[in-house]
Amino acid sequence: MANNKKTAANGFLAGTDWVYTDLVKEHFLNPRNFLMGDETKYPHDAEGIVGNPICGDQMLMMIRVGKDGEKQEVITDVKWKTYGCASAIASTSALSELAKGRTLDEALNISAEEIEEYLGGLPKHKFHCSVLGHEALASAISDYRKKHATK
Amino acid sequence: MIYLDYSATSPLLPCAKKAMITAMDLVGNPSALHTPGHLAMNKIEEAREEIAKLIGAKPEEILFTSGGSESNNTVTNIFAGEKVAVSAIEHPSLLESARLRCETTILPVDDTGMVHTIFSSDLRNNNNRQSETRPSLVSIMLANNEIGTINDIKKLAAEAHAAGALFHTDATQALGKIAIDVKELDVDYMTLSSHKIGGPVGIGALYIKQGAKFKPFIVGGHQERSRRAGTYQTVNIAGFGAAARYTRKQNLPNIYLKKIMPLRNQLAAEILKKVPYSSVNTPLKKNGASLLALPNILNCSFEAAEGESIQLYLDAEGDIITSTGSACASGDGKPSHVIMATKNDAEVAHSSVRFSFGPESSKEDIDAVMNYLPNIVKRLQGISTLTAGKIRKEDSYYGK
Repeated sequence: MANNKKTAANGFLAGTDWVYTDLVKEHFLNPRNFLMGDETKYPHDAEGIVGNPICGDQMLMMIRVGKDGEKQEVITDVKWKTYGCASAIASTSALSELAKGRTLDEALNISAEEIEEYLGGLPKHKFHCSVLGHEALASAISDYRKKHATK
Repeated sequence: MIYLDYSATSPLLPCAKKAMITAMDLVGNPSALHTPGHLAMNKIEEAREEIAKLIGAKPEEILFTSGGSESNNTVTNIFAGEKVAVSAIEHPSLLESARLRCETTILPVDDTGMVHTIFSSDLRNNNNRQSETRPSLVSIMLANNEIGTINDIKKLAAEAHAAGALFHTDATQALGKIAIDVKELDVDYMTLSSHKIGGPVGIGALYIKQGAKFKPFIVGGHQERSRRAGTYQTVNIAGFGAAARYTRKQNLPNIYLKKIMPLRNQLAAEILKKVPYSSVNTPLKKNGASLLALPNILNCSFEAAEGESIQLYLDAEGDIITSTGSACASGDGKPSHVIMATKNDAEVAHSSVRFSFGPESSKEDIDAVMNYLPNIVKRLQGISTLTAGKIRKEDSYYGK
């Protein structure tokens, strides 16, 4: 789709046969970095969980952290799980790609707008779903910093 | 495309389309006294007769509206400022308009969506002050749009009448799926919609029993014997009439019972057998000879798998069209009020998917569903933060 950022008056994205852009659809159909099965299968340094199934979606982010050449702490790997809708799956897939290789501060600065831009737009009423992955990542980073604060 | 969303809207019947195309050439305003106006009015009255016949009413008891939502709003508007009692699983156009205009009591339903009595405990306890507490109107839908539950309207209407209340039933989903006779049910008002039976969108009707209290919702014109202002929608009315005629002539309720219900039941059985942690929200059993739910609706929930994702994977991967009670798909951010009222479990509501069949549905359709659904659900359960089979409660899990 040539113009997959165009938002129709109804808040849905125009120009496709889906309510989501082709890129959102692609991430939804082929999500990156999700964890299939039990979390214990994936040793990780920290995790964050936000949302709850009473209100809707729930998101769990797990991160591995290492040091880069300048001894900065960077996210070396990300895995996630969700009880969530198409938007949450696609935006968290995108976020997991964006977060890898970034320092903790850089990862915290990934905005919801950046995720939306990466995906070519999300329906307006779905914006909160993309924030969920973002909040889970912030929570995981905070978890990591708490664990390493006294070391 | 495997279309299993007939309860949302059904494809336009060829006979309805033909009637509409013919009616498009009628230029006269049906209210006018000249010849072209008269010809258009004839079409409208023919359609009115067809809709009346379908539900056992008299033509003059049928009022054309813009659809089910307007019919429901028209009814609550008649009782503005008065006490009304409505079931917890009514369509939002009834539930919200009643809450907006009337002093509304919500009648609880059981876990299948059945209303057992219109006398909720607070009404019963106030027997000595009955005239102060009893409602002027009771409204309970004939069949629910999400889970298909059929309520015993004959019994409930009799109970309402005995208490001095008038009775409305929303038959939007039931029309054409089961036989309906307004005299047998003895209701005072009934909501009908065209596009659920293969007619056009944008037209519906309200049955108003002769002599029942009435007040127009749209005022400022003498149309419909001064019961609804606005130029007649000749084209849509002709389409609705043709769809009603087809439904009666083909005896579609019988086709739903003989051909569609076995398919629906087969899909339910296969889902319960092959999709892990699945459950059925539609009451499939019979009560003696009577159905507890419409023959064409199957609502299921899948533990730990979110409904909108299931719906969209079915669409994207299998070209299978369904709907969901998930909050993510609702537009208002809330899970299905019907599943909440029956199952009282947000996860069951978020994880629900509705399959609704039409007269053309076939064995191939359910084969297609079973080809995709089990893997989609297993995959979503695999990446879920919730564990199917042993739901982790919020208090022990959230905020970890």
